[in-house]
Amino acid sequence: MSGPSGTIVSAGGLSLPPRAGRRSRWRSRGSLFLLVLHGRPSFALGYVIVTAVMTCAILAPWIAPYDPVTANPDVYLSPPGFSHWLGTDNTGMDILSRILFAPRTDLTIAVLGTALSAMVGIPLGAIVGYYEGRSLARRTFSVLVMRAADVLQAFPVFVFAIALVAVFGQSIISVVVAIAFVNIPIYLRLMRSQVLSIRGMRYVDAAFVAGSSDFAILRRHILPNAIAAALAQLSVNIGWSVLLTAGLSFVGAGVVAPTPEWGSMIATGYQNVTTGQWWPSVFPGVALGLTVFGFALIGNSIEVMADPAQLRLVGRAGKGG
Amino acid sequence: MQDSDLLFGALSRRDALRYAVLATGSGLTADLLRSTAAFAVTPGTLVVAAPGTPQSLDNEYDGSLGTIDAIGQLYDSLVAYRKIPDPKHPDVMREDIVDNPSLPGDADLEGRLAESWDVAPDGLSLRMHLRKGVLSNWGNELTADDVKWTWDRKFALNAIGGFQVGLMALATPDSVKVEDRYTVTFHPSQPNPIMLKIQTHRYANIFDSVKCKQMATADDPWARKFLENDSAGFGPYRLAAITRGQQAVFKARADYYLGKPAIDTVIYKEVPTSSARVALLQGGAVDIAQALQPLEIKQLEKAPGVKVETVAASSMMWIILNAKIAPFDKPEVRQAMNYAFPRAQVIASIFQNIASPLNGCMPNIYPGFNGTFDHYGYDLEKAKALLLKAGLPDGFKMQISYNAGDPVQEPIAILFQTSLRKIGVELTLHKVPAGTYFNEVSARKQPMLFFVDAPWTADPVFALRLYFYSKSFVDYSNYANPEVDKLIEAGAQMTDLGKRTELMQKIQEIVMADAPWVFVASPNYTMARRDTVRGFTYYTSNSINFADFSAQA
Repeated sequence: MSGPSGTIVSAGGLSLPPRAGRRSRWRSRGSLFLLVLHGRPSFALGYVIVTAVMTCAILAPWIAPYDPVTANPDVYLSPPGFSHWLGTDNTGMDILSRILFAPRTDLTIAVLGTALSAMVGIPLGAIVGYYEGRSLARRTFSVLVMRAADVLQAFPVFVFAIALVAVFGQSIISVVVAIAFVNIPIYLRLMRSQVLSIRGMRYVDAAFVAGSSDFAILRRHILPNAIAAALAQLSVNIGWSVLLTAGLSFVGAGVVAPTPEWGSMIATGYQNVTTGQWWPSVFPGVALGLTVFGFALIGNSIEVMADPAQLRLVGRAGKGG
Repeated sequence: MQDSDLLFGALSRRDALRYAVLATGSGLTADLLRSTAAFAVTPGTLVVAAPGTPQSLDNEYDGSLGTIDAIGQLYDSLVAYRKIPDPKHPDVMREDIVDNPSLPGDADLEGRLAESWDVAPDGLSLRMHLRKGVLSNWGNELTADDVKWTWDRKFALNAIGGFQVGLMALATPDSVKVEDRYTVTFHPSQPNPIMLKIQTHRYANIFDSVKCKQMATADDPWARKFLENDSAGFGPYRLAAITRGQQAVFKARADYYLGKPAIDTVIYKEVPTSSARVALLQGGAVDIAQALQPLEIKQLEKAPGVKVETVAASSMMWIILNAKIAPFDKPEVRQAMNYAFPRAQVIASIFQNIASPLNGCMPNIYPGFNGTFDHYGYDLEKAKALLLKAGLPDGFKMQISYNAGDPVQEPIAILFQTSLRKIGVELTLHKVPAGTYFNEVSARKQPMLFFVDAPWTADPVFALRLYFYSKSFVDYSNYANPEVDKLIEAGAQMTDLGKRTELMQKIQEIVMADAPWVFVASPNYTMARRDTVRGFTYYTSNSINFADFSAQA
């Protein structure tokens, strides 16, 4: 966080001079992180889950016992056992191997989609917020962008994403674009509201009087101070995007079969639940739920770190107060 | 106010709302189940759970299961196959479709709207003598004019009926002549050995022309609007109500010429998901559940109070190999695809053995079928050798399209993909929404597509001409072999059953060698019903006739 005069203010109230060394800044952030984990130990679970999921995604080719896309009809719908720990699906593909490979698809889509939306939404929101209420042309631009975001958000997110996938075709890129599209208004609004509150600060006026261009003011003085909330939103959005990816695959608008992906695995397996074979859909469902939960916890922790009031509460809790 | 009070207050409000919604929802569901269950146990009422209600009641434009079922109840055709017990399930009746050269038209038929018929030995005319005193659901008597109007309509609208006109080889509407009030004659333009069999077709039903003419307008001379939502026929049931997306109600006709059916009321309910149909049948809320998945059928076999009968059927599932798209323009590649298809494993796993291998290019229950031309066992070495011969030693990349609405197609495609990978063929799967799938098939632009179909008329000329005659609009593989065309044209005019069968065998031999399809499976027809319901009869149209059923109290 940054104070009005450009002083970097940590959420816990610890002040550092703006030109403090990078090492001390990192040290400060590290102790902040540990403070939050100490005050809310459940947040650590989120980091553990997400780290585990990412590790699985990276090490999947080495730790998965079977090829995730090779069918073996001789063992179709085998229940969990020694040869297949989590059983097999209706084509005999190993569920454990597919669950281990799935985050490669789900996280790639979610991270890329969220990053893309943040890259578009954050600068656009900053520009809109900065120019809102200024000259007629700039005001018109702001109004147009915000009304476009209204239109975008008026559609049910899922239906809108399905429509996008239908237009672009069924592929990973389409799902990434769909997720990015539906997330852009979130960052746009978040940044706009932040910038609206910051642009009236004295240090912004000072920069303006000193002759800085609009671009320089936005880049050097407003964006760094307004971006924290958007960054806190990233983690929550990644978890939500994993869910949306799975949802799209569940309705058949996601990735192409038989790509290992939790949503499509649940969709393939749910038909077997009524006939007694619960494992093809339950295990990927658990993996999906845990991952989303993990990202949600991380999002909460970032939110706490970014909010001085909450941080004070956590600090007191950490001290037993 | 204390915190606990606040918490309690907030929770109780939220919970009260939640519980109210749940209670309302479950109450409604329970009411629905109770009301349906009440119908299901009412003597004289049959509740059928189907994937969809009839979209249209006009058979000229709709071929969905709901419409096919409805047409069989509301209308009757001139003749029908005699019924015999199924050889494997003596409780189940089925049509006697075996060719019998001692009978007119080589077919073992019984009269329906027609009481007798004369087939000219040269195959150039078919005279039908109509039953007298047959009344429609509007009280009009059946006459030769009804038959004439029905075929005139097929000529005029030229949709599904146009196909039948072609099969009958009728050149103009004048080819159908009214001889007198109860006699009508068909005059094909060339000898036609199957013109009598075509009259058994589910869609060869006869309209009440008097009512239809009353409902026709200058803009709608063939009463399309009327027949889309109502009926004018001579069948055993009349339509009492239809709410598309929910249910159609059929009432038995007391004045039906073969006597009032045993089941008085049939409620044909739309239950889109097969697992819900299974649950309703198990719970006794419906009497019959249609279109179930193989694993569900296996599950129902063990369910108390439920009877499951599965019989050999005319359905075929195959993968279209588009002969106009490389590399499927080479017969060796098409053969290789067949050798690489794990058919036995697909039948055992995906179909749970409720299907037989498709070992020919027409239904294996039809007369004239020969399964000895099928040489496509699972043999990857042979497949590789064929690819080498075709100049594709490293394989190729290919896309297969499948119907998202058919749950067995995706797993079959995945098994095929795994198998093809072993011979260097990289298959990618392309899921097509059920609503547009048929457009993809009929456009004939995709290299590989799943397709499921059944030629309803139990005759090799009908079946083979449908799929392998280069001028047929159902030749979705773009298959064109001049020799096969010539043999089909000759067979279509050959009145001598022995010689015709010979020609049909030759066609099957050539087609199987040319392999325009990957021959997948012949799925059985399965009737899942409450054990109090009797009278299941299998028809080659893979649909049911309510009039066959009776229910024990």
